[in-house]
Amino acid sequence: MRLLDWVVLLGTLGFIVSYGVWKTRGSKDIEGYLRGDNSMKWWTIGLSIMATQASAITFLSTPGQAYEDGMRFVQFYFGLPIAMVIISVTVIPIFYRLKVYTAYEYLESRFDLKTRSLAAFLFLVQRGLAAGITIYAPAIILSTILGWNLTATNLFIGVLVIIYTVSGGTKAVSVTQKQQMAVMMGGMLVAGFMVVRYLPDNVSFGDAVAVAGKMGKMNVVDFSFDWNDRYNFWSGMTGGLFLALSYFGTDQSQVARYLGGRSVGESRLGLLFNGLLKIPMQFLILFIGVMVFVFYQFNQPPLFFNEAAKTKVYATEFAPEMEALESQHTALFNQKQEAVQGLVSALRTEDEAAISAAQSKVQGITDASKELRTEVKSLIAKATPDAETKDTDYVFISFVMKYLPAGLVGLLLAVIFSAAMSSTASELNALASTSVIDIYRRSVKPDASNMHYVKASKTFTAIWGGIAIIFATYASLLDNLIQAVNIIGSIFYGTILGIFLVAFYFKYIKGNAVFFAALIAEAIVLYCHFYTDIAFLWFNVIGCVAVIVFGLLIQFALNQMDKGKQAA
Amino acid sequence: MKETDANKPAGIDKPPFFKSWKGMYWLVLGNLAFLITLFYIITKIYA
Repeated sequence: MRLLDWVVLLGTLGFIVSYGVWKTRGSKDIEGYLRGDNSMKWWTIGLSIMATQASAITFLSTPGQAYEDGMRFVQFYFGLPIAMVIISVTVIPIFYRLKVYTAYEYLESRFDLKTRSLAAFLFLVQRGLAAGITIYAPAIILSTILGWNLTATNLFIGVLVIIYTVSGGTKAVSVTQKQQMAVMMGGMLVAGFMVVRYLPDNVSFGDAVAVAGKMGKMNVVDFSFDWNDRYNFWSGMTGGLFLALSYFGTDQSQVARYLGGRSVGESRLGLLFNGLLKIPMQFLILFIGVMVFVFYQFNQPPLFFNEAAKTKVYATEFAPEMEALESQHTALFNQKQEAVQGLVSALRTEDEAAISAAQSKVQGITDASKELRTEVKSLIAKATPDAETKDTDYVFISFVMKYLPAGLVGLLLAVIFSAAMSSTASELNALASTSVIDIYRRSVKPDASNMHYVKASKTFTAIWGGIAIIFATYASLLDNLIQAVNIIGSIFYGTILGIFLVAFYFKYIKGNAVFFAALIAEAIVLYCHFYTDIAFLWFNVIGCVAVIVFGLLIQFALNQMDKGKQAA
Repeated sequence: MKETDANKPAGIDKPPFFKSWKGMYWLVLGNLAFLITLFYIITKIYA
């Protein structure tokens, strides 16, 4: 890190935090603190929704995923615009009419207290875990790449977020997310421009896309159906739709964003704004990853992108083996560079036979490179058993650190910190509002003053922030934690969505039926997770459908029992 | 009581550019259809 990078990074983050605190200063009532006085315009809501969803992992992992797997991950978002329309039509008007602070408040008016408390509890467990990971995931990568202390990095992100989220509540979260989105998108556009600019002089942008296509990276849409395939058109349109309905319709970290709108119309426009722009945004981030892949066809990539993990191997008895693999990697790259240049020339001739021959040659070397990478991962696992052998999260950041000029490195780090802060802020704000409104005010201290609940909200925000930092600090002690938290999200989301869909559309089903149906649905999802190979995205569909089906059956049984009692 | 309130019509303002919200919804869904078609063409061209 050079001085200019530090100035850009600290200047950007310092400005955003100071602006958030200053803009939302002054005493507030609970309405202002948790709903932002219903003063938000649609573009603030839209940007806030996008910034909440875009965590640091979006910017670290997504380009790496495209590098490894191509563009197909974009299909995961195909259900999102449909979900935005459904929520705009059905959910928003109901939440506004009931003037709720949290989504779970509605469940008590529709069902009963135990169903509201169950949904709030599931949310607190799931989001409480996720908040720690939102901080930990970028911190572990940045501390590895930059040599920073992991605990200090966790504290840096966590404390900055706590400062403005405790100070300004919902409004501070939304106001800062506008700047954070500007930094994120501006930074990514600059990175995309730079990677294309760094391609060899004889390789145009069109050549780069054509090479990516011939190497299987422009696989944007796949209509073939496979239950076990995580990303295809069908899983995106069904699993993705259910996940988006659940996330945007029932997860308080998103619901709070549009409940702060000036009107139903402003909130709807904010959501639809997200429905229009989310897929192009993800496409852009993935495409930058594909361009990084093309860049590395002409510039030698590291054998393993997590250099720190590789360095540790050199300190062991396995160093000679690693050196041998590095030599093979260099030799393969030299062959590959020649083959890829041949492919570019063949593509220009438009001679199908020549293209096919060049493509086969490149593919052969690519397969050999993949085998070599597999060998390196095995060696790392053998030499340092605790090391993480997945390096896709390091692809983009290692490109940034090695090739971008001074100032831009600071800007791209600001992108990653902004993303971590924006999603963490929404999570802390939502955790605090659910703790206060659905648990503390409802069941612990119902008759306190308005200012008491503001103080309680600030206290809970700080407590959840502290828990997130502690969890982030000790997260490295658990294996595959990030994947575990993602799966936990899908395990709970389907059930929560099912409860809300029943509330909105199945007036026949009452409180007791939906409560027990939710417990059965959760058991089914857990069975699928532990005893089947079904991809976790489908848990959202299974949990949701199970709540509806069992809700109908239990309600029917309860009605029959009532009729029997009355007849007796 | 509140369940009944939820069924009352809300004071919903009109969207920009369109006479009703249906137009906005069709814009979002039409954009999705356009993007999927575009992505399909990209996939086919560069396969």
